[in-house]
Amino acid sequence: MKRLNKKGTDKIISVYWFVILFIVAAAVVYMAVVFYGEPYDVREIEAKIMINQIADCISQGGEIQDGVINGEGKLELTNENILSKCHLDFNVEDFKDWKTQEQFYVEINFYKFNKDAPDGLGSKFVEDIVAGNTNLKEYCDKKGKNFPVCVERDFYVLVKENPHIIKVKSIVRKTEKNV
Amino acid sequence: MKKRNSKRGNILTENVIFIVLNLIFLTILFLFLFSKMGDVGILEEKTAKQIALIIDSAKPGMEISLSIKDAVEKANKENREGKIVFIEGNIVTVQLKEGKGYSYSFFNDVELNKNYHYADEGNEYNFIVEAHKTGGAIESNEETK
Repeated sequence: MKRLNKKGTDKIISVYWFVILFIVAAAVVYMAVVFYGEPYDVREIEAKIMINQIADCISQGGEIQDGVINGEGKLELTNENILSKCHLDFNVEDFKDWKTQEQFYVEINFYKFNKDAPDGLGSKFVEDIVAGNTNLKEYCDKKGKNFPVCVERDFYVLVKENPHIIKVKSIVRKTEKNV
Repeated sequence: MKKRNSKRGNILTENVIFIVLNLIFLTILFLFLFSKMGDVGILEEKTAKQIALIIDSAKPGMEISLSIKDAVEKANKENREGKIVFIEGNIVTVQLKEGKGYSYSFFNDVELNKNYHYADEGNEYNFIVEAHKTGGAIESNEETK
């Protein structure tokens, strides 16, 4: 009897061992599939690079670039020429509905500097500049990786020796290839 | 004596089978992991996005040398002939095996002096960012400064 019991226990241990192995394998496979199955999400980096490019396009050495605002104080950058003047190309690959639905959005706000305001923002001194898919803007408040990535940054710039604040918002969608 | 020997043999066989099964199991697990790690699709995506981001942050006049050793080795393993990296318009495509490859676009409107790389060209993709394709008053101002 004793011998029989020992054999039975051995078998149970062996089955138990394989159950553990199966659980470990399932966990490893699940982690590998989750880790390697998801694409690299580079949208935030793209949005930040785009903001840098726009900042370089608008200002240099802390002063506004010649050609952004003319002598009369009017903006020479417009919604129509922002892409060409800042060397941006919003064309994307032919993937799903990307050709019909733009994947980028850029918005530039120009504010006067107000030293009394806590954030330094005064009134807008010229109109905003926007380019790309304006529909993407409404997703910025929503959290979740399936929504477009929004990045907003501001910087100070001197316009005729007066400080101004420029806010740049950049949105990248490209969800299907990054999530 | 005979009985004792056969029992010992039995125990040994059971243990050997148990160990062999475990080893087979672990081998399959590691093979799965390694196959996932070195997957061609992942490498294509990684390389295409890496090149696109580098071009996005590049400025005219920059000479860029990017190590794509992993991709070249994989393409050679897959006996890939032809271009493994090619850029058309503003779309980078990396193709390490027969098929469509992986494409990713960049937004920086620049011209490159060399927009392709063959597997037998070595492990580094070297190119120069020559100039912006489009340009307005701002660019001309940059040049005069």
